[in-house]
Order: sequence, then structure tokens, then C-alpha cells
Amino acid sequence: MIKVQFYSLIRILLKQEKLELSACENENVGQLLQRLQRQIATPFLHKLLDKKGEPILGTIIMVNRRNIHHLEKLETPVADSDVVALFPPGAGG
Amino acid sequence: MSRFSLKGWSGKLLRVDLTAGTCTDEVLNEQWAKEYLGGRGLGTKYFTEEVAADVDPFSAENKLILAAGPLTGTYGAANGRYMVITKSPLTGTIASSNSGGYFPCELRYAGYDMVIFEGKAEYPSYLQIHNDKAQLVGAVHLWGKSTKETEDQILAEFHGDAKIACIGQAGENLVSFAAIINDKHRAAGRTGIGAVMGSKNLKAIAVRGTGGVKIADPVAYREAALDSYALLKANPVSGEGLPALGTPVLVNVINQMGALPTNNFQKDTFDGAEAISGEALASTYLKRNKGCMGCVIGCGRVTGLAGSRFDGDGEGPEYETLFSLGSACGVDDLAAITKANYICNEYGMDTITIGTTIACAMELAEKGLVTEEEIGMPLSFGDADAMVKLVEMAGKREGFGEKLAMGSYRMAESFGAPELSMSVKKLEFPAYDGRGIQGIGLNYATSNRGACHVRGYMISPEVLGLPEKLDPQATEDKAVWTKIFQDFTATVDSSGVCLFTTFAIGAPQFANFLTAATGAEFTEATIMEIGERIYNMERVFNLKAGVDPSQDTLPKRLLEEPISDGPLKGEVAKLGEMLPEYYQERGWSTEGIPTDERLQTLGLV
Ligand code: SF4
Repeated sequence: MIKVQFYSLIRILLKQEKLELSACENENVGQLLQRLQRQIATPFLHKLLDKKGEPILGTIIMVNRRNIHHLEKLETPVADSDVVALFPPGAGG
Repeated sequence: MSRFSLKGWSGKLLRVDLTAGTCTDEVLNEQWAKEYLGGRGLGTKYFTEEVAADVDPFSAENKLILAAGPLTGTYGAANGRYMVITKSPLTGTIASSNSGGYFPCELRYAGYDMVIFEGKAEYPSYLQIHNDKAQLVGAVHLWGKSTKETEDQILAEFHGDAKIACIGQAGENLVSFAAIINDKHRAAGRTGIGAVMGSKNLKAIAVRGTGGVKIADPVAYREAALDSYALLKANPVSGEGLPALGTPVLVNVINQMGALPTNNFQKDTFDGAEAISGEALASTYLKRNKGCMGCVIGCGRVTGLAGSRFDGDGEGPEYETLFSLGSACGVDDLAAITKANYICNEYGMDTITIGTTIACAMELAEKGLVTEEEIGMPLSFGDADAMVKLVEMAGKREGFGEKLAMGSYRMAESFGAPELSMSVKKLEFPAYDGRGIQGIGLNYATSNRGACHVRGYMISPEVLGLPEKLDPQATEDKAVWTKIFQDFTATVDSSGVCLFTTFAIGAPQFANFLTAATGAEFTEATIMEIGERIYNMERVFNLKAGVDPSQDTLPKRLLEEPISDGPLKGEVAKLGEMLPEYYQERGWSTEGIPTDERLQTLGLV
């Protein structure tokens, strides 16, 4: 199973903290997100991705606690037992 | 008096001689205003011209300057900020601490850009300003009162619409990290400026102003404001993320990446992170968000503890407090952290320093370097009740609170273990570990007031990816980025605008705002040059004060002890790879001394 964790506005929007879904062979983060959106009735992907399907500036997506920006971005592979964390843009001080 | 011809600035400062009990208006130095703007820059310019660098922070010779910027009290972004400048009793460096709310704007509406306090009042006093009338009045009846009680009493006896900045018991007791609280919940928090105020027997500043801010070109200003407003609203951070979750949203982000300092930086992931996160706060004690005056973002958290084992309501906690009183102490009790935050606001204390000082005491206890008898109670990481109790004891300087009131460095030193203080130049770290995020480590080491994240918020590019994503573990180019962030921040801090706007607007917008408001010409280049001038001025003061470049460093733990857990396990701060390049970028000598040539270019000699 792949565990997807929702944070910040996405958690508020979806009213859930996480979701588990089975792994698909040769899937990457981008594909996983699209599959997730098909499963969840409430639209949430627009909080993470722009109209071209690229991460909005400030979006943080982590696979096993590593930012995909420094891996293979949306093409980062995901497999069974991976943990994917989704953070829409936010900031602190 | 000579004339002040520019708009934007009020063009007037109030000089308060606390020893003599006099208040005198002065025309603002126009040349300095153009070169240093206001707030941090202009306040520090006046301070360094008037006060010797070796001054004892608690002596009558030290001065305390409250300085708004030329944009404070205007509209368009988040223009409700001011700075307090003095010499810090905690760090021995220049202290300049930022806060926002309504008080800074009211000062401007009364016609002042700045108030300079000098000398020392014979007995507790406070300053009343009602437009152009200013007077010192007795505050014996306010001494010993919390910031909330003080504000309520002044509202009742002076003016119901006054805006107030004051100290609580911590400032009176010279707690070395006492804050000045304005509008009840907003803190000019760091470096102990509240203790300097207390040392002067000055309890509060109450202002009622009914004027406005004169704008040189209202049409151009309106355009600049609309442009910034649109950018701030369209930006997902300032338009949506900050209003909804505030700064606490970072608890989970930083914990996930493995850079959330835990148990006094012995770990970098916290099992209790979810329990103290922004998401947890939003679903428990958060009532609504709130903004400083005219702010289009509104990152403030209005909270209440009904339904928990504590009582009270107020504002906070922010992300920094969730770290300092939370993960740094191993505390995962959100109600306890919120309660301790309220106590800090009421006593007037910096939540970062008190939390990290308690964390340091917890490690001293863990290592057997301080006994239960000395502390007056058992103390270990994770003990939420002890944490809350110690916060109050520090404010009162009661029992072990006497030690805590020294700040972590002096406290740890007194137990023979200064290396357990997680600080730079005696100012404690904020909520990001410089081992996992290299650029913020460089910023901590070189910040002019010690380990401060808002001197150069490298978290923005290194973690949040704004304006672009940098690799947090890389050291390449971090010197250049750190310098740019530090310089730009110095300008923002001198304008009266909140640093949080810079997630969406940059130097071009600031140039437009300032040009339209003041009638003087500002460009993107001058915005950066002003920041660099201010940064170098602060550096020169610190050098004269004896804070030499050997202090541009990090604690041994960060330099030599690798992160022990999480995804960044094994990382140390690679300061040595960045510092020489940083000095070079700044045009300083290889020893970190600003060269005459550089200072000349910046108009500092
Ligand atoms: S963003 Fe937050 S701190 Fe800044 S001015 Fe607005 S409410 Fe105040």
C-alpha cells in the first residue's frame, strides 16, 4: 500500500488526514496524484498543481520525507509502502 | 528647526529625556531618512551616532528608540510595523526588534516617525502622546502589572482609543530576553529590549493620534497599492496559506523534512509534531485569524483554551513558539504550549528564548549537571507542567527562574556547560536546524543580532521554494543568497511593511511604494543598497562593541555532532564552506571586517 498524507488546506478541504491506496506498477508521483483525484470526489489537486499540471510555486510534495523537487519531480517513482506527503503552499516565520 | 521637505515620513521625532522628565520635538534628519528610510535603518543610524558602542545596556547612557517607517500606517500591503532599537543586554550586539499591530500606525497618526528615550526615570513612568502633546506621567500604580492589566488601566485613565506598547513584569525584573508588547498580543520579542525599557523605569508608551500620513503622489501610490494587493492576494502563500493556517503550518513541513529541533537539538524529528501542528491548532483552540492594521494577509491566530485543562485566551502560538516551548522541550501538549505563550505575552517575554532556555535546562538536568534541588522540581524533556511553571518563574525571577532569566548561554555557562546553549552571539536559535538547511545556518552565524531567522529568511528558498527552490543541503551559492536576503530584509524592516509580504512582492514593488509615498526616487538598486548600508552599519557597531568575527559561528553541536535521526541523519553545518565566500560577497576582509573601500561606497565613512 502507498500511504498519502494530507496537510494544511488539503486536510481542511478533504476533512481527512490520510488515505491508503494500493501501489501500481511503474507509477510516478504525477500519475499517483491523478489517480488519487479520480478516487476522491472533492477537487483538491488545484491546491497543488497549476493548470499545466506543474507544482504551484511553494507546493511541497515529499516521498518518504524527501522533497520530490530534488528527486525526479513529478516523475519520481512511487512504490509499495512509500509515504507521500502533500503540502500546499504555506509559510512561517 | 530646519524643514523636512519630503512626504511619507512625518518628518518629526520625539526626544524623551527620562532623567529630566522632558519631551522635545525635533525635525527628522532628511538626508539620513533618504539613506536609511526609517524603522531599523534610521533608528540604528540615530542610535549609532548618539550612543557609544561600549555602553552598558542597563545604564542611563543606553538609549531606546522606537521607530516606524515611512510606509507605516499607509495602506496597500501589510504596513503596520515598527522597530525597537537599543543595545541588547542578552547579546551585547545592536538590538532591533520588529513588531506590528495598531500601535505603530497610531504613532504616525500622532505625527511622529520615531521616539528616542534617553536617561533613566527616577520612578516608574509612562509616556502619553496625544497628537502633538507628549508628557511623562507616573506609573507606580502600573508597576508589577501584566501587559494586559497595564493596557486596560491606561485605556481607562488616558484615552479609550489609545494604542499602547508596554512591558510586563519580565521587563521590570530585567529578564534578559524581556519583550515589549503592543496591542496586548504583539511582541517586539527578541534580544531583551523590554529589559532595557524596564531599566529606564519606563512602563509604557500610550499614543492617540488623529492625523494621517501625507503621500507625495496619491495616484501613483494607489497604483502601487493595487498592484501589491493583487500580487498578495494571488500568491498562494500570502493569499491563502498564511491566512488559513498561519505560521504553525510549518510544524509538519519542517518535521517531515527532518529539521525540527527537538530535545534541545539532540534530535530533528519529533514524535509529537502532529499534536502541536498548525492543523491541530486549527481543529482545537483556534478561533479566527487576525491582522495587524491594514494587513491583507492576517496571519495572527486568535485562540482560547476553553475545554482544555488550562484557561485563558489570547493570540498565538506561532510556529516559533510551537518549536521553542514544544519540540525543543519535547512537549507535545498543545494546550500547555498555548498557555505558556499567553504567560509570555502577559509577562512580556520572548517565547523563543524562554522555550529554548528551558530546553537547555532540561538537557543540563538529563546530563546531571543541575540537580532537582537546584531547579526546585524534577525536570525532564516532555514535562509540560514543569515547562509552564518555569515560564512563569522566569518572568518573576523566582527560584530557578533567576537562572532562566539569564538566557541559555549564561545559564549553561554557570553550570559549566556553555556548549549546551543552542545559540549564536548568545541569542537562541529559532525553529530550523542549520545542519539540515545550510543557508539558514550561514545566516544564523552572520546575523547582526545572533541566531535569528528573520534577518535573512533562507527557509524561503531552501524549504518553501520561494522565489525558487534551492537544495537545503547544498552549500554552493548560499553566500550570495544569504547576503541578498539579509540586505533586502534590512530595507523591508526599515520601511514599515511586514516581511511576510515578501513572499509575494519584491524590490520593484517596494521601490514603487516608497517613491510614490515620499517623493524621493527609489529604484530596485537603491532598495538593495539601502539594505546593504544598514547591514554594514550594524556590523560596524557590533565590532566596536567587541563582538568580533570569531563569533560568526555555530555551536559545536551543529558543527560537529551529526543529526541523529530522520531523513537528514548524518548532516552537520558546513559553515566553513560558506563563510569565506560570504565575507567576499560582502566585500569584507578575509577576517570578516568591512573594508574602508566598501564602507566608503556605502557612504558609511
Ligand atoms: S502578515 Fe501577519 S504579522 Fe505581518 S502584518 Fe499581517 S498580520 Fe501582521
